[in-house]
Amino acid sequence: MEKLVLLIPFLPIVIATMIGFLNKKEHMPKVAIFFSSMVALLALYGTYYVMSTDQDIDGFGGYLIYNELSAILVPYVAILGLVIRKYSTKYMWDEPGYKRFFVLLNFIFSAIYLLVMSNNLIILTIAWQLMSISLYLLISFNVESKSAIKNGGWTMLVHKLADLFFIIAVILTYKTFGSFELTELSQKWLALFQSGPVDDAMIYLIGFLFLFAAMMKSAIMPFHLWLPYTSEAPTPVSALMHAGVVNVGGILLNKMAFLLLLTPAVLNVAFVMGLITAVFASILMLAVSDIKRSLGYSTVGQMGYMIMEVGLGAFSLAIYHLMVHGIFKASLFLESGSLIHQARKEPNVPRRLSHEIFWEEKPQYNSINMFRMIAFFAVFPVIVFTGVKFLLGEDLFHFNAATLIIAFAWLTGTQLFLSFFEVSKANSPKVILALISSFIVVLFTYEFVGLALEHFLYGKNGELFYEVATLHVSGTMTILMLIAIMLVGWYFTYRQHFVGVPLGEHKPNKSKWRIYKMLAKEGYISDLYVKYFKIF
Amino acid sequence: MLIDFILLFLFAGVPYYLVFEKIPVMRKDKIFPLAALLVIAGMVISYQFPHETSMPFVMVAFLASLFSLHKANQTNNLCKLTYYILFFNAPLLIMFKTKESILYGVSLIVALMGVYLMGKYYARSYGSPNYQSVSGITLVTPYAGLILTVYFTALALYPPFPNALLFLNGILKSEISILWYLIVIVIFFGNFLIAVRVMAKTVFGKPNDNVHYIDISPTERVLHLLIIAALLLLSVIGLQEVLS
Repeated sequence: MEKLVLLIPFLPIVIATMIGFLNKKEHMPKVAIFFSSMVALLALYGTYYVMSTDQDIDGFGGYLIYNELSAILVPYVAILGLVIRKYSTKYMWDEPGYKRFFVLLNFIFSAIYLLVMSNNLIILTIAWQLMSISLYLLISFNVESKSAIKNGGWTMLVHKLADLFFIIAVILTYKTFGSFELTELSQKWLALFQSGPVDDAMIYLIGFLFLFAAMMKSAIMPFHLWLPYTSEAPTPVSALMHAGVVNVGGILLNKMAFLLLLTPAVLNVAFVMGLITAVFASILMLAVSDIKRSLGYSTVGQMGYMIMEVGLGAFSLAIYHLMVHGIFKASLFLESGSLIHQARKEPNVPRRLSHEIFWEEKPQYNSINMFRMIAFFAVFPVIVFTGVKFLLGEDLFHFNAATLIIAFAWLTGTQLFLSFFEVSKANSPKVILALISSFIVVLFTYEFVGLALEHFLYGKNGELFYEVATLHVSGTMTILMLIAIMLVGWYFTYRQHFVGVPLGEHKPNKSKWRIYKMLAKEGYISDLYVKYFKIF
Repeated sequence: MLIDFILLFLFAGVPYYLVFEKIPVMRKDKIFPLAALLVIAGMVISYQFPHETSMPFVMVAFLASLFSLHKANQTNNLCKLTYYILFFNAPLLIMFKTKESILYGVSLIVALMGVYLMGKYYARSYGSPNYQSVSGITLVTPYAGLILTVYFTALALYPPFPNALLFLNGILKSEISILWYLIVIVIFFGNFLIAVRVMAKTVFGKPNDNVHYIDISPTERVLHLLIIAALLLLSVIGLQEVLS
């Protein structure tokens, strides 16, 4: 009975074939939603089975496996897929190519399931490439748009490069370790790690190839441009892309986790590249003038955090991060449709519940009082954090790497609040309370869920990754960095929002202006592509 | 040595199409069937006379393939494109071991046969196999759009089509060297760039108001369906091969 779960990757292809034969438009989403619900139920059953029996489900000659990683990710993808299909039913109704859209959507879901459930490097390679081509056809769905096609071509080029790196890595893995089976390979890698330090250049090369392939698919700098520039795709595709497709880098690195035990340098590079991406993408997100591109950079930044987490050995946290971010970003994209719908009815900007709670018009700002409050809630979270750390004991925080991520996660939360509610106007204690709450919620969920996930995914081996990640950060160092980051961040926020700038007489500083211009133009990289690389 | 010379010529390692393009010995749209026949002849010979391919011949084929890549990027003619792509892939046919070479060659010829027939359909419907102005066929002639998408997805080396699987099978079973890396990278990207270029120009794009679009006829659909079925059958073989 449980073997039925292994049919999940093939069911979307069956759905796509059925849709291909349907003539009535209204039947297409019904078929897609009904059978996708079956897939979701099957996935939930598989998860229940794995959790209750503590056994993996494998089949098809060991090529597919429903293990702990699948038990977490497959239901997530299935439920996300269900929501996207339901949303697309009406959203895509008037678009030409309704049938084509549902067929392609099912193909990409099939590729994602196959990628998550594969236990063989060849199957993984096929799924990896299937995802690339399905993504291209979905990005280029609006075939009449020149820019969509052009950006689709560029996206494909990056993904093709990722495919090449992946294929070469797979071949070298086979030539070095003599197997394609991931379970067997993981055991070999673990045994090799336990037998002592490894100093084989080939293993490092394989590690780097897998890392770069993951970075390209997850839009990590400098391979990031495809993501912010593909926002012309239909909204459900954007939701899928930001919530599902970009996450495959993290999924791949989790599948290769035991290989990365042998290559600390790869983890260090992942951390540095992730950090650079997180910082620069966040800056670019604020600087670019196009709102959709800004959202794209937000995702790039989050992917940076995810790769950073991997670089610090927090593999399970990366999985948690990609899921939470995926849900958040998908809801953002899918909500845009209903907001447009509301905007058509209301002459003003539609107000949401959060807006009703937090918004408060204040014509006069008391900057000194405000600065005190900022100082208060810059320090308060640190006190809470250290308090919790001392009260609950060291073992809860045995993955110190996570603390740094928490700081970033909290900063992202505050950044979100700042963008949504413009602190200069909504500077009420309610907002500050919400910010502190967000910090505490992020802190606890990251620690508890991260730990629970780590035990579930890797058991006792989870701690090995932190030992290998040589960029291990101590608790004190983390707290110091946390304080520094927050104080600097809040100083700039204060300057930006509360220091009066005399309008009219003020002349912008030339060098600052140049920096801003460079950031707003995304470092001229996109211009460079357009001007000098006329491939498509 | 002699076998190597013969195979270099038969496997399209020498761009002899230049002669047929310059001198009107035969119609240009007959070059692909001739080249495909010669490649098949090459496969038979290579099967009958197993041998070790020497690297200089692979190198010559590689240089010629770069020239074919250049030609493929210059043309908007579907019929010409078929033999340019065939010649472009020649180094793989020479470099791979016999079985892998034959399987890859067959899948390549089958996919190119489909493109060639589509070229004929373009010539019949729009006056020439030139796809430049026949844009956006996905919207106006969905069957033609779907079929061309399948062929070019296969040629761009994407699964589940056999070209990708047999390419992987071939490179997996051949010896790794610097030339191997060079050929694999160039051919992997070259096929992709050619395919995406065509797809962007004719499969996608805004339909041209000055063109009277005609979708492929039911008889042609059956023919293409058979070719796609053959490709899928080869995919099954390819999957078995690569997993074995």
